[in-house]
Amino acid sequence: MTAIARTVVLDLRTAVAYRSQALLLFVVVALIEFKNPILLVPALALLAIPAIAAFPLQAADKAGLETLYAVLPVPRRSVLYGHYAWALATYLALAAAGAMFTLAFARAQADAFDGRTLLVVLTLSWAVFVVNVAIQFPLFIRFGHSRIGGLGTVLPVALIMAVIIKLHLTTRLHVTVASVQAWLPLVWVAGAVAIVASVAVAIAADTRRVR
Amino acid sequence: MCSDLAFALRGVRTTVGDNFALRDVSFELPTGYVMGLIGANGAGKTTTIRCLLGMRPIQTGEIELLGHRVPGPVALRQDVGVVLDHTYLVGEWRLVEVERALRPFYDRWDGSRYRQLLDTFGLDPRAKVKDLSRGMAMKLMITVALSHQARLLVFDEPTSGLDPVARDELVGIIGDFLLDEGHSVLFSTHITPDLDRIGDYVTLIHDGRIVRTGTKDEVLDAYRIVRGGPDDLSGLVGVQLIGARRTPTGAQALVRTEEADLLAERVLVEAPTLDDIAVHIGARVPHPDPGNGASRGPEPRRGAGRRQSDSSMPTREIA
Repeated sequence: MTAIARTVVLDLRTAVAYRSQALLLFVVVALIEFKNPILLVPALALLAIPAIAAFPLQAADKAGLETLYAVLPVPRRSVLYGHYAWALATYLALAAAGAMFTLAFARAQADAFDGRTLLVVLTLSWAVFVVNVAIQFPLFIRFGHSRIGGLGTVLPVALIMAVIIKLHLTTRLHVTVASVQAWLPLVWVAGAVAIVASVAVAIAADTRRVR
Repeated sequence: MCSDLAFALRGVRTTVGDNFALRDVSFELPTGYVMGLIGANGAGKTTTIRCLLGMRPIQTGEIELLGHRVPGPVALRQDVGVVLDHTYLVGEWRLVEVERALRPFYDRWDGSRYRQLLDTFGLDPRAKVKDLSRGMAMKLMITVALSHQARLLVFDEPTSGLDPVARDELVGIIGDFLLDEGHSVLFSTHITPDLDRIGDYVTLIHDGRIVRTGTKDEVLDAYRIVRGGPDDLSGLVGVQLIGARRTPTGAQALVRTEEADLLAERVLVEAPTLDDIAVHIGARVPHPDPGNGASRGPEPRRGAGRRQSDSSMPTREIA
């Protein structure tokens, strides 16, 4: 197992300690979006997945895990890569679970929900997730979750909401599956680039971390 | 770099915030021995340990750890067990989960040893880290450190807050660890009786500087406690009183052994304990150097107290 994989497993074990909160977040979002299943995965990406992905960073402050990382025989950079890899794994797992619930909810309400629509929904959730993590993680790594947890959580959500409101006010929010189909690959690639850029910023921020 | 030293710090300097720095810190421990790092709270023990472990960058000097220059290869951490004065594990983890979380990182993790030590220490594998008392938490950290078969154990204030029984157990554990002659221990503390039993070497640190380092006997032989009447320790020539204390009925201070000979006829001269040395050195008042904010040198200068005044002779009055 590589050092990054070991860190991901450590993050998983750290997050498992907060499984009740994670489950509660998931259930609350699912209940809210039960009547509107098309928004379930994006809502998870906005409200639940980034919070769960950040559990290890939160625990690092709360339980002194930064000291553990410094003592364990694992390179510091692998720890940072591991945090991002954990976040991506969280997205994949919860987006998959959300997609299944979406299909189940849609079927329960006799909604038509084809694969192309699901792909758009997942792409939108990917964009929301990336904006969240790309902004939050460098902030948490630089200043610590306990110092900037509130701002780091609110900032990307506010940014996303501002974009949605702006698009709505300019009446451009009439998104159809057909109209955005061509943009989907670009969103996935741009998201990946944003994550890579965020990792680079986080590495730079880590050297100036307020410890 | 290859030597028979467990570790060595040479001319290490680092600053912590605006008000504290390690200055020219140099000391070393041969493999197979226990060193006590003694100093008052805030003397620089934890900073020194963090530098040694590569957790804090240094500005000048060099550090050698188990034959490697620090920062060394990450694999070096396989050989170092670290027990700090606090736990650094997720509070919600049960002790069985602690093993599952840490085992993947260590090539020589010994699960049966971990479980055996939990049993020896009376730690319930189902207990959560957050529910452990301070003494139990220290035992857990020691269990972790011993389970990956480290060659060097670094303890930072492990006994502060422990009851005498737990401290005694810890000393026994360190004794067992040292049965392998390739094993070494650095033990920072301000509770010196623990070191009286197991310490081979002692390093005294005060205000970020090493005051003295050597074998325990060398350090004990280097100082004497002098006791006399209220005025017996005044007006001394060629003697530096360290951490002098005066009461209406008497006075006492620590002096260097060679200077104690000058006082033998007028005051009572006794061999100190490590506690005496730590208390008196810890009572010294740091004086900032002009210009760079550094404090006074590690050793009292001979003759510096030719007519000792209160301003030049740091003292602590006791009731």
